[in-house]
Amino acid sequence: MLGIQEAIVETARKFPSSLYVSTCGFITRDLYNTADRPENFYLVGSMGMAAPVGLGVALAQPEKQVVVLDGDGSFAMNLSVLPMIAEHSPNLVHMVLDNGVHESTGGQRPVRIGDPAGLALAAGYAAAYTVDSAEDLRDVVPADGPTLVHVRCAPRGAHAGKRVEWTPQQIVARFNERAAA
Amino acid sequence: MTTAILQAGHPAGPDAHRPSPAEELVRAFADHGHTHFTGVPCSLLKGVFKVLEGPATELTEGLRYLSAPREDSAIGVATGLAVSGAKPVVLMQNSGLGYSLNVLTSLNLIYDVHVPLVVSWRGHDGNDAVEHDIIGRELTNLLDVFDLRWTLFDPADPYASVERCLAKGEGGPSDGRRGTPVLIVKQGV
Repeated sequence: MLGIQEAIVETARKFPSSLYVSTCGFITRDLYNTADRPENFYLVGSMGMAAPVGLGVALAQPEKQVVVLDGDGSFAMNLSVLPMIAEHSPNLVHMVLDNGVHESTGGQRPVRIGDPAGLALAAGYAAAYTVDSAEDLRDVVPADGPTLVHVRCAPRGAHAGKRVEWTPQQIVARFNERAAA
Repeated sequence: MTTAILQAGHPAGPDAHRPSPAEELVRAFADHGHTHFTGVPCSLLKGVFKVLEGPATELTEGLRYLSAPREDSAIGVATGLAVSGAKPVVLMQNSGLGYSLNVLTSLNLIYDVHVPLVVSWRGHDGNDAVEHDIIGRELTNLLDVFDLRWTLFDPADPYASVERCLAKGEGGPSDGRRGTPVLIVKQGV
């Protein structure tokens, strides 16, 4: 089973030129510590909003690919946005990094979603995958339209890296410069 | 046939159609570069939604309406649009502000991404359905607490109402500070 940091590194390797939106907590910190780029829009709060923010980015920049890094807890928090994303058919890869715990807050148990990939397809996503190895993640082929990738991950074990040191205003300014270019 | 008769009775022409307050509201945002509208409907705003969801017209050409499941998600989508070069507007009933407080306080106000909100004011005189009593009474207090800079929509002058609202949000002459501009709609448009 992949670790979340490993899954993020693999994702960044697979989609090196995409725009990224990461959910708050450890996932944003992992992305920042493993692959900091101006093309990353880090959420430091507003849990559940990575997917809608990613949709907005994709609608403003239809020529670019957007990768959303969600956790299983933040994904469960905002399932109602899945049909909205599906409706507009954006060029968006929705990663759900599922380690089965609210790790950022101390390892509490989130609502368990039986089949995130099935849920995404039912909501109208163009494609959905469930993977649990780096090899399977590398084999994912995004469809023409929103694609969900449910990555079964091992609990982190190691402590997350440092907090994002860019100010929110810096995050916006440098992202805007790349996204709107 | 009915259509033909109706048209015969009301000939189309330059003076046949006077813009409604809802159309003027939309036009004012469009003239200020706003391209995307998203949100959750309210009966007080149904005229605006009708303009945005209706058949394409000269007014709505180049505008896009995105129906959202919840008000906070609408603000999330609008935020993504705003940080990527588009200019969105969010429409909601005042009941939706509760949902929106998290995204407003931990994203928009912290990151200084100020998308205009058009918020209907159900329960403004305590004379509405019971579910609007408390939010109706406290709406402007709630907006003041979080420094959401509100402007009351004037149905007699919709275009200028929008301009006043946007001027506040964009560091207008009032006090030179930026903030999330909120246009409060009291009567139905």
